[in-house]
Amino acid sequence: MTCAALQILPGEAPRSGTCVFALRQSSRIDRKQELLDRVAGELLGKGWVAEADRHWLYLCLDEVVVNAMLHGNAGDPLLEVEVALWAEADRWALLITDQGDGFALADLPDADDPASLLLEHGRGIRIMREWLDELAYYRGGASARLSRLYASAPPEER
Amino acid sequence: MSCDFLLLQAYDNIVLAKVEKERLLDLTAIASLAEALIKELDRHAKVSMVLDLSAVAAMSSAMLGKLVALHKAVKAQKGRLALAGLQPGLVPLFTITKLDKVFEIFGEAEQALLHYRKNRL
Repeated sequence: MTCAALQILPGEAPRSGTCVFALRQSSRIDRKQELLDRVAGELLGKGWVAEADRHWLYLCLDEVVVNAMLHGNAGDPLLEVEVALWAEADRWALLITDQGDGFALADLPDADDPASLLLEHGRGIRIMREWLDELAYYRGGASARLSRLYASAPPEER
Repeated sequence: MSCDFLLLQAYDNIVLAKVEKERLLDLTAIASLAEALIKELDRHAKVSMVLDLSAVAAMSSAMLGKLVALHKAVKAQKGRLALAGLQPGLVPLFTITKLDKVFEIFGEAEQALLHYRKNRL
């Protein structure tokens, strides 16, 4: 299922349910993998993402974290990304916030424009939207909310 | 920057490049691979390249961007670029991004080599 049209909104990302964890990490790209493993470990370990979707999960986490560190925070290791995982009623939600100024929809290549086919960037959001149930940006693009329905875990294990 | 997970073999005007890495997500690894491929391309004139990705289970949009850059570099010197051995999990990345319309994609590297030998430029 591909999620709805991408939106970039001015306010804070909505959150509900229980916060599983929240952390801040420097925008050191050489420490990206630790962050990916932490988030993926929670989601796979709890059964909220099926093992068969491991590669999609890692791919989406990689895309959103690289965007936050390298584009949002311009690769400045003194700037941080905030990561929070939330357990909502029927889905998990991951909020990733950088310290940048965000971006505009006009900054993204038009996937339907043949001229964009040979660009060397601008495919990450399209890829994430393919697997996620929801991808939306808040704070003008500096905060991403990724969510997907729980895979199979019973409610008591959430 | 050297790339220790790339195997290169040259057959006349065709280069077979096999990527021996399961995950192409690390930006340093992606950069070293891209640089090594472009360097190999620069060593030849009017060469076609078969990129064997059968060992690759995951790649990011950054790697897709490098493949596009390689495609443009090959085209610029009147060669052709084939991607071969895409694992089933990778195929959607190419269809979602419509890059399946850009690249010549073959099931196996041998098929691509045979095709290029039969259809020399």
